[in-house]
Amino acid sequence: MSAFLVGPLVSAGLTALLALVIVVTDKIVNNYGDVSIDINSGKKKLPVKGGAPLLLTLAGQGIFVPSACGGRGSCGACKVKVLSDVGPHLPTELPYLSPEEIAANVRLSCQVKVKKNLEIELPESLFNVKKYKARVASIKKLTYDIKEVLFELPPDETIQFTAGQYVQLVVPPYDKIKDSVQRAYSMSSVPGDHRHIELLIRLVPGGIATTWVHTKLQVGNTVELIGPFGEFHVHETPKTMLCVAGGSGMAPFKSMLYDIAERNLYPEKEIWYFFGARSKKDMFYLDEMAELQKRLPRFHFIPALSEPQPDDEWQGETGIITDVLDRYIKTTISNAKGFEGYLCGSPGMINACIKVMTANGIPESEIYFDKFA
Amino acid sequence: MKNTQTELDAYNRMKPGIITAAGFLGDDLRTLRDIIEADEEAMAQYNITFEYAADFLEFLKASGQAGLGEPITVESRYIVTVGDARGKLPCPWQDGLYHKNSITVSDTKSRVILIYSDLSIHMLKAHHFCQGKGLAFRLDPQDLAKLIKNDRPQSTP
Repeated sequence: MSAFLVGPLVSAGLTALLALVIVVTDKIVNNYGDVSIDINSGKKKLPVKGGAPLLLTLAGQGIFVPSACGGRGSCGACKVKVLSDVGPHLPTELPYLSPEEIAANVRLSCQVKVKKNLEIELPESLFNVKKYKARVASIKKLTYDIKEVLFELPPDETIQFTAGQYVQLVVPPYDKIKDSVQRAYSMSSVPGDHRHIELLIRLVPGGIATTWVHTKLQVGNTVELIGPFGEFHVHETPKTMLCVAGGSGMAPFKSMLYDIAERNLYPEKEIWYFFGARSKKDMFYLDEMAELQKRLPRFHFIPALSEPQPDDEWQGETGIITDVLDRYIKTTISNAKGFEGYLCGSPGMINACIKVMTANGIPESEIYFDKFA
Repeated sequence: MKNTQTELDAYNRMKPGIITAAGFLGDDLRTLRDIIEADEEAMAQYNITFEYAADFLEFLKASGQAGLGEPITVESRYIVTVGDARGKLPCPWQDGLYHKNSITVSDTKSRVILIYSDLSIHMLKAHHFCQGKGLAFRLDPQDLAKLIKNDRPQSTP
């Protein structure tokens, strides 16, 4: 053997040996063996392998805690109350937790490693959350940047949900995106259709999930959906509903409105729905909402454009949607039964609507919302 | 130019899948120091300070928030959409947490379209980091110059 090969071979051999030592050490040091997770004081007891984050360990057992970042610790959604001592809160958790949550040992489940037997508390609604492998049945372009995607569940699967809830769409790795990510989208389908899930997805420039939906997703593809999640729903009162949304914020309201129309729910409720867009090219479902008004005379749809273009020939309301809402509350809608607010959109939009509604006498406790953030 | 340990650590956190799925480097194969130095030179050539550019992007975001998530025209020239996502992102230099959002500015005059976030504004201002080439969120100095200059009224931001 040539002498000049000896050096590199010895070096390669030592590197391989070192790698082997690291792998063996890791197996020994990080082997937490079999442990158990007790949920809600014995309601469920899961025998699991220790060593992985709590979020992933629970998901492996079919219990899906909501997470918008896929376990990177950047969304703060996967909160779980841990009753066992798992050490102090990590610096990565603290920005997402209130002092009350810290005192109650609420943790980000993606940041807590399962190393020993654990006792935790979870909302029981999460026991109904399932992972579905659904087939894309249709994709419709609603505007230049919003798509309506209909998913069909496998023949032996059904989904039970309440209008207003959301699912998490699992986006597989693609192009330069090396890891799977999950994003939450409100369902726009009717709860009575247990075989389909419909989502309205707006393209966020540079967004990983929405870019995938808008450029890669095809009819016939199979995707994973996890759900249902969320507390946003219609409250059973006689009060008049004031709903406000823009863009893909239409989704939960479409689900609620069709559910109400199909089952004639809450017959005493008047429903006013304010939907804002910049110009006509951002507006959609005008025909569907007009048709719904015919089916449901107590439903009133008020679309408004903030910047109508000359060729839009827009005859409807104009202005920022909060101004339109304010105008209608003051001049048009009867407050005989009282009002309750329903909002879906960005934090800025929600806050602006809350300001208008509370200024018009609606208690903040009766304003319900599905905040995007 | 040699990278400092802080830059090496920040660079490692910028790789895809650490803070964001796409990371902050795009197709750029240069070191962090090289990316920053090249952009500092370019910004100097266009006679724009990082602070001024960051303040201008902040001004557009603040003005765009009036659209409540929908596009809105600012100064009769910029169409701004402020979108929000759940959660916060840490700066790769570990000097702060920033709300996850995505601001799209389409300049009807120069035809430049820029996408940025609160974290982008911070990295531009505090670290002179425009992000790597090939990334949707890159704030290229040439684009910033077109967006900011080009007869913009002197009164803003």
